[in-house]
Amino acid sequence: MYLDKNSTTGVADLRPGHAGNPLTARHLLGQGACHRPGIARLLLGAGFLWFSLPLAARCQSASPQPPSTQLDDPQPLKPIPILQGSAGFLATFDGGEPHLGPIVTPVVLVPIGERWLVETRATFESDLAQQPGLEGFHGQLKKEVDYAQLDFIANPYVTVTVGRILTPFGIFNERLYPVWIRNLQSDPLILPIGIGPSNASTGAMLRGGFKAAPQFNVNYAVYYSALSTASPVDSSRFAGGRVGIFVPKARLEVGGSFQHLLQDERSNLFGFHLIWQPQALPFDLRAETARSRRGRGYWIEPAYRLSQLPFWRNQMRRTQVVARMQEFLVGPLPGDGLPDVNTRQFEAGMNYYFMDGLKATGNYGRQFSMDGNKNVWTFGVTYRFVVPLGREGNEL
Amino acid sequence: MKETLLLLVVFGMAMGFCGYALAQEQASSTDTAPAIHARPPSPGVGSANVPPKNSDAAATKPAPVARRDSAAMRLEGEKRFRTNCGRCHMAPHKFPPRTMATIVRHMRVRAMITDEDMRLILSYMTQ
Repeated sequence: MYLDKNSTTGVADLRPGHAGNPLTARHLLGQGACHRPGIARLLLGAGFLWFSLPLAARCQSASPQPPSTQLDDPQPLKPIPILQGSAGFLATFDGGEPHLGPIVTPVVLVPIGERWLVETRATFESDLAQQPGLEGFHGQLKKEVDYAQLDFIANPYVTVTVGRILTPFGIFNERLYPVWIRNLQSDPLILPIGIGPSNASTGAMLRGGFKAAPQFNVNYAVYYSALSTASPVDSSRFAGGRVGIFVPKARLEVGGSFQHLLQDERSNLFGFHLIWQPQALPFDLRAETARSRRGRGYWIEPAYRLSQLPFWRNQMRRTQVVARMQEFLVGPLPGDGLPDVNTRQFEAGMNYYFMDGLKATGNYGRQFSMDGNKNVWTFGVTYRFVVPLGREGNEL
Repeated sequence: MKETLLLLVVFGMAMGFCGYALAQEQASSTDTAPAIHARPPSPGVGSANVPPKNSDAAATKPAPVARRDSAAMRLEGEKRFRTNCGRCHMAPHKFPPRTMATIVRHMRVRAMITDEDMRLILSYMTQ
């Protein structure tokens, strides 16, 4: 059953392209980071303790009756562990060179009690390519745990998260990354800005969303990541935050991200994002910009569902056309996972939704850079799955 | 020094949000607004039934009024569902209620939807 046959949005999903990017020696050694006085670390640690523990204690004491998921029902609706995720098979022709990319990203969610949630996501993917002297496609399976975190819902406004967390810089990494969500199959060029080569942090975070005024909601995330050189939980040392203002009536969200690197060049990173879905049109606009000493750039991605066309209605409402314009300009410092030269890229494609979670996708892109221009074609199928763990999954 | 200042700014933001959140929570405990706003937001996954827990009036409400409230809640839930969830992805199937409760809790954390939106969405998705 489709709930939004005339939905203005689309489901798409793409490959985690930055999985498995190599660490630089700078990251591994954490130059300077290990030798600086621990004032920043102490401040941050004390800050998190200061905020999270009293909040948790206050919240626990403020609600002597444990909240239930169905407060008015004699039997509360208890969440159960589930396995969800996405799978896809993508064929890419990058400058004429064919690549095959199977990918599976399972997400395990284990709710505990009324306030806790353990969540983790892994990625299994391969980049199969033709190799000289060999027939067929060859490649290695890459396995990676993208994140593994423990969430504590302290109160309606604050959730405390610890562990290996997706870095909340911009919107793409946290919200649009899964292959069944994204509209175009390629990663934005500026994606590594703010999230680094591993797209995750090792540390803690406070986050939440609340109605700040009748007209708009505010969502926020404040985080600290510790230096870790232990693969695969490598991370840099930084602190930052993201704030978004969402106006439900206009279906508009604007927000900004900030991050301060606490190692290496100790620079600041800034980002800005926008999501807009006008009520009157099946139209979806997403855009992001990011700036750091390793580079700066933007991407803007309009998508339009053809449900308003007066012919082939059943097919048209399942069809979405999408485009993305993006540009990256190199900075004075080399960037991990970022292009080495100034790059501009335009992509246009189409998604067809067979059913909930199952989508065929195809797009064409043209990349212009100092290294030479090239065409990139991508075709594929993506699927989203949800499986309850245990027999109680089908219980009401 | 500059770095310490930046850190203090970041934590100032955190302190501001937490203070604001606590103030909102205190204010909401005395809120007497209509049904979907009346109950202080729950820290848990959310309620599939949103009316106030201790509402005697709701318990003695005539059936047509209750049905009207339920329909209004459903409409509001669908609206919140499209507005919030549609920001990132197409609407999914309805899953079994307990599965849906887990997904909504996950989305509460991941997408940072508000407590009220979460309860209404869960209510709508489990009907």
